[in-house]
Amino acid sequence: MTRTTVEHATCLGCGCACDDIAVVVDGDRIAEARNSCALGRAWFGDGSVPRETRSGRKTVAPDVALADATKLLARAARPLVYLAPDISCETQRAAVAIADRLGALLDSPTGEIAAGILAAQRRGRAAATLGEIRQRADLVVFWAVDPADRYPRYASRYAVDPPGLQAPDGRKSRRVVAVDVGPSRGAADADARVAIAPEDEIDALAFMRAVVLGRAIGDGTVARVATGLATQMMRARYVALVHDAEPSPHGPLLHPDRAEALIALAQSLNGPARCALSSLRAGGNRSGADAVATWQTGFPFAVDFAPGYPCYRPHAGVAGLLAQGEIDIALLVGSPAGVPQAVATALGQVTTIAIGPRVSAAPFRPTVAIDTGVAGIHEGGTAFRMDDVALPLRPALSGPSVAADVVRALAVRLTRGRS
Amino acid sequence: MSKARLRIAGAAVYDPANAVGADGAVRDVCIEDGRIVAELPRDAPKLDARGMVVMPGGVDIHSHIAGSSVNHGRRLLPEERAADPAPAPPLADPDATPRSGTGGTIPTTFTTGYRYAGLGYTTAMEAAVAPLAARHAHAELDDTPIIDAGLFALLGNDDYLLRQIAAGEASRARDYAAWVLSAAGAYAIKIVNPGGVERWKAGGRNVTGLDDVVGTGAVTPRRILETLADAANALDLPHPVHIHCNNLGQAGNAATTLETMRALAGRRAHFTHLQFHSYGGERGKSWKSAAKQVIEHVNAHPEVSADVGQVMFGPATTLTADAPVEYLLHASSGKRWVNVDIELETGCGIVPYSYREKAAVAALQWAIGLELFLLAQDPWRVVLSTDHPNGGSFLSYPELIRLLMDRGYRDERLKQVNQQLIAGSALADGLAREYTLSEIAIVTRAGPARLLGLKSKGHLGVGADADVTIYASDADRAKMFATPRHVIKGGVLVVEEGQLRRAPTGRRLRVQPGYDRAVTRDLKRWFDGYACVSFENYPAVELGA
Repeated sequence: MTRTTVEHATCLGCGCACDDIAVVVDGDRIAEARNSCALGRAWFGDGSVPRETRSGRKTVAPDVALADATKLLARAARPLVYLAPDISCETQRAAVAIADRLGALLDSPTGEIAAGILAAQRRGRAAATLGEIRQRADLVVFWAVDPADRYPRYASRYAVDPPGLQAPDGRKSRRVVAVDVGPSRGAADADARVAIAPEDEIDALAFMRAVVLGRAIGDGTVARVATGLATQMMRARYVALVHDAEPSPHGPLLHPDRAEALIALAQSLNGPARCALSSLRAGGNRSGADAVATWQTGFPFAVDFAPGYPCYRPHAGVAGLLAQGEIDIALLVGSPAGVPQAVATALGQVTTIAIGPRVSAAPFRPTVAIDTGVAGIHEGGTAFRMDDVALPLRPALSGPSVAADVVRALAVRLTRGRS
Repeated sequence: MSKARLRIAGAAVYDPANAVGADGAVRDVCIEDGRIVAELPRDAPKLDARGMVVMPGGVDIHSHIAGSSVNHGRRLLPEERAADPAPAPPLADPDATPRSGTGGTIPTTFTTGYRYAGLGYTTAMEAAVAPLAARHAHAELDDTPIIDAGLFALLGNDDYLLRQIAAGEASRARDYAAWVLSAAGAYAIKIVNPGGVERWKAGGRNVTGLDDVVGTGAVTPRRILETLADAANALDLPHPVHIHCNNLGQAGNAATTLETMRALAGRRAHFTHLQFHSYGGERGKSWKSAAKQVIEHVNAHPEVSADVGQVMFGPATTLTADAPVEYLLHASSGKRWVNVDIELETGCGIVPYSYREKAAVAALQWAIGLELFLLAQDPWRVVLSTDHPNGGSFLSYPELIRLLMDRGYRDERLKQVNQQLIAGSALADGLAREYTLSEIAIVTRAGPARLLGLKSKGHLGVGADADVTIYASDADRAKMFATPRHVIKGGVLVVEEGQLRRAPTGRRLRVQPGYDRAVTRDLKRWFDGYACVSFENYPAVELGA
């Protein structure tokens, strides 16, 4: 078999969405994903995915699975449509249309970071696309995150390494400060490190903002550390303040108020300097799910169509609703591997229809399971980088069913069933 | 009802682009296969429109309805969305998929399409898209039914262009502009605060005038404006450069606006939301109207066109690539604020706002917009917009039309607003003019279509797109224009007896100007050096060979 290469492929292994991957295909397997990091290599793998279509415990023809799914959804009293990762925006758009038609609840893994989304809705954002951080930042502050862990090429593609218009010597043109909050360490490659106890984090951020606004009163350790950090930031030309918007591996230590305090600080720094808060998001086109839900419903996640129009239920918590038995049927579109543990466990309690990559192997054993390809590996379309930049997907392999086609076919059946 | 044939019978027809005889003459309008035709057989389906008013479908020359910054705006204001639910309309076709949504000042995509159609508008231009975000904007427009739509590509703060200007490479700048328009699938070049956004991103605050230096000594707002205006005209684009001037929203900015017009003298250019650029007085000290000076210049210069960007009282969302302006608005209002610096291209700023009639500056802005309308001598060159959602929602157009057509109503409204800054203005002194239905047809459809170079839009001549709006005549013009009786889009009856019944897919309007392919080799090098998106992944639409 001949080897072929797909150039400029976009990797959805994390939210960096590096679009410079050369995927080398040997026969029907990926032999290599050049330029990718370890996380990207794992995400591409060899490109093999299961190709099952099941209903009940039996393997069935796709038409039978779709017919069964239609029957189940048509008699659902309180359905949930869940946008899991690894699907394109085209698939997400079709899935939201089904939620609208069914009067369903719509959610995605973004529900896990509701606190951050709500903070941005209260205050707004001071942000930049990743490339602008590369061009401008002369001070990069990694707040309790080392991007090397979960966003491996962030440093080499955006900040801090590459040269930019106002950082001609790349890393040498920038000062890097790591802020360690308890076990959540800032970047290893830092020019300076500052340690803040987790219980002092929000106070420190508030104090820093007060310093920026010229209203700081007080002393003590937190005040000293905060004043030092804030002063450096005020003296910079363009500060990139980087934090992890995803649930921390040190979960309980992620303070629900951190995102709001970071936003407020970043906004205030735009008086004396320029500042962008870079919020790191995981991959699989999670940011696309937020964007699509917003343009179709007005809300980025936790949308309830039950009244006949979209309502925002950001505090409902889909895992809780499932566990309480409020949901009777769930339609999961996307990769089960990207579903938060609590949601995945709760999905095991209800009838679930799953359409997406590797759903036939989902631990919650869907009643109907239609395996599809992975967006970006087997399926084209559009995906969003963590900073809301939309990129094209260049599939290297042909997969089983195409997720967007399956979801659209289901939508058509549901429409005909009603009329 | 089929798309094939329809005779609209017995209405008073307002088709100022084809002024044969007086507007408002009673005649039939015939439609076949999505186009206006001269005649139909007698047995063709007939829509009885006796006693009604027929106009071409509305054309919005400047609106913010799709894309990255619009979506940031939607996300920022969930309470506004929640307060205006929009259930799915009952469409006639059982296989259609009507969609619910939410409204407020920035409705969701499907609701935007439905509401524009419900207002009798069938074409709209998304007026500010960073080329990097064009893929996103197209995806949203794909979910915006009924209306034909195009997008304007933001240029004038993009680093590649500024480099070409610094190097004196005008022809390369032109080729680049042509490539960007093609790659973004865009319709026109939009310039926002030339040089000012770049300066904001570089750590400065803003530019203050046409000759401020941006980056290197050779680059100034003036050079950016000249280069892009010349490029648009040399490329023979259907719409000239669409300019949002420097110093938006600042007292005394009329001087900058007039200087910009003079700088481009003799060149075709469109000046957008002119109201926001027609302020007299002095920055930080005083405000007054300079509408008269600005509009007199427009009146005297046929190469200049404008849309007004009227402010309407009520909620708005200010949303612009002019990020330094939004910073100032946030700093002065304390309201929520989104800023997004967009790599190598432009910026984005958003602040929610409300224009209150008891607020002095808002009342002045409202008055200035009306002065521009009422003192404009050529309605073909000064057309209607609210810079949706910046000056107010597109849903406020009917109210604006009433203000223009009904002096008694306008004078009553004028008495209710804060008088502090409008004393001595032309409006306060009394402007008697009342727009005629024919003039309304010009400023809401025929004029914008002509300024956009949309030859098959904005008129009802043979061969035109069958985009037609039918109003039940009503002395209350706001009511008349808010609720068209029927709306036909591309020959399809989308609004029937005041109800939205069909939602066909709209077309995308774009240009593909030619360019010297050498520019792509240089661009590839530039991308490899600085960009964070592959050159090959940048175009939002397929580029022709």
